[in-house]
Amino acid sequence: MDSDIKEILPKLIEDAGVMVLYLDKQENILLCNKKTQELTGLKDTDIVGKNWLKVLFRNSGNNIKKAMFKAVMDDSTTYKRVKDFECHILDSSGKNRLISWSINPILDKDNELQASTLFGHDITEIKGRGASIKNINDSLKNIFSSIKEYALYVINPDGKITYVGMGCQAMLGWDKKDIIFKHVNILHDIDGQGSNLDFILKQVRLSGKYETETELVTKDKEIIPVILTVNRFLDPSGKLVGFIFIAKDMTERKKLEYQIFQAEKLAALGQLSAGMAHEINNPLFVISGRLEMLKQEELDQKVRDSLDLISSQTDRIRNLVDRILRFSRKSTTALEPIDINEAIEAVLPWVQYNKLPSAEVILEKSFTKNMPKIKGDLHQLQEVFLNLLINAYQSMPNGGKIKIITSKLDDHYAQIQIIDSGVGIPAHHLKNIFMPFFSTKKEGLGLGLSICHNIIKNHNGSIELTSKVNQGASFTIKLPFI
Amino acid sequence: MLYKILVVDDEAPVRELFVDLFKKEDCQSVACATGEQALEILKKETFDVVLLDIKLPGMSGLEVLKNIRETNRNLPVVMITGFGFDEELIAKTKQFGCSGYIGKNMPISQIIVTFKQFVKTAKEKGCSNG
Repeated sequence: MDSDIKEILPKLIEDAGVMVLYLDKQENILLCNKKTQELTGLKDTDIVGKNWLKVLFRNSGNNIKKAMFKAVMDDSTTYKRVKDFECHILDSSGKNRLISWSINPILDKDNELQASTLFGHDITEIKGRGASIKNINDSLKNIFSSIKEYALYVINPDGKITYVGMGCQAMLGWDKKDIIFKHVNILHDIDGQGSNLDFILKQVRLSGKYETETELVTKDKEIIPVILTVNRFLDPSGKLVGFIFIAKDMTERKKLEYQIFQAEKLAALGQLSAGMAHEINNPLFVISGRLEMLKQEELDQKVRDSLDLISSQTDRIRNLVDRILRFSRKSTTALEPIDINEAIEAVLPWVQYNKLPSAEVILEKSFTKNMPKIKGDLHQLQEVFLNLLINAYQSMPNGGKIKIITSKLDDHYAQIQIIDSGVGIPAHHLKNIFMPFFSTKKEGLGLGLSICHNIIKNHNGSIELTSKVNQGASFTIKLPFI
Repeated sequence: MLYKILVVDDEAPVRELFVDLFKKEDCQSVACATGEQALEILKKETFDVVLLDIKLPGMSGLEVLKNIRETNRNLPVVMITGFGFDEELIAKTKQFGCSGYIGKNMPISQIIVTFKQFVKTAKEKGCSNG
């Protein structure tokens, strides 16, 4: 048996998948196997008897030779045992191969080096796979960090954030260092009054998972609507170690839903208003007609005064109904090419007429010349400009400045901005500002801006308002060119 | 007598108001509540002008106008409506051949002046059935 093994051993070494070399104490190669010849591209006759560093690293730079030498020597004199030292060599075709070296010095009883065995394992492919995995990891990291619609974070049972994952930065603006190990209420307490987290976590403990619509706080203290899914986080033994939170940003969806809701509401209200206005107009017509006829009779002054009062009140109702009808008007009919600058210019005298006499208001015009015309109903559009400008004047009881800017937004749209330096509109009123019957003015009907909104919408344009309290208001209208 | 007028409106107080108003303007008027009645009356009597409500039960004002125009292209027909000054409606009534359009939201004095103006213009154009 022993003799058999002795016969097998040289063959094993010869056929081994790793480089095997045997060096003498002068570090010259006494023996090398097939793999060594394969990788170096040299015959054994070119290898045996030569210095190992010169043979194996004959194509490599000095730096690699030095690194290898340093790995083998404790200092310049003592050899050491080396295991899994990775170093590149250039193979016969000039390609870089990464070799993992194990070197065993054979010492005599006086610790003098007698010989060395070298094993070199070509790990180029294995490392390559590792690098691919690293690449995949990097890609995933990139993918995750660019996801803005979802945020992922994990908390421990005490509510401390233990993992800050994708989206926390992109969606919420929180850096890992801002929130890691902080209580998760930092994300959930939207008004400083606490959050509904206790309830949510109770549900998760009960059923393993809970999904709800809620809101999260960004680093900039903005509140964004989310759909939150919370899962239990269990260790392999089934013990609860935390909760996994995934929040989906619903801002855009909510915005869209709100717009659709508003549009539907406005349409329904328009229909209702038109029907109602018609029903009011008929009896009103009879009342005011009879009144006019009565007033033509010989009357006692007291009766006449009363009739005049009734007249003025019915006029008030008629004006209101008129405005409601105009609000409900569905479409534009008298379409013509309109020069926006001229259209605005024409309403300015009317605006002046409406301003409060004591207030000093500076009107600043910045009109872009030679703008393409837009197609629209001149009277309706002028009603919009008049409305916005009168509003601007009324928002500045102590005077101020109104800027009217017309410009070409792009090849398709004209932009008209009307900016005042008035009292502004509180944030919580902004979203209702174009709703009918909504007014911040005591005497307002709340139809002016909803009529403007309808008119601009019927012209396939858009109207937006930005405003802050005491910082004025800025209306931006976009209308398509012909 | 200035004009003989056919007033068509489904609401009695409106009809009566018009009859009284026109009386003061030296006009004689006949009033009825539906389009069908109006067409029947027009078969038997001649008028200088028809004052026709757009929203009527059964046959609408626009249908009545269309019917009148099939047999009589010259009779002045002035439409009246509680919907106020609605461009879309005006465009439609014009297309059907009406001579004028009055909103019930106008002040009464203005309604009468406007109405008389419409009739005058229509007659001047030679559009009267005399």
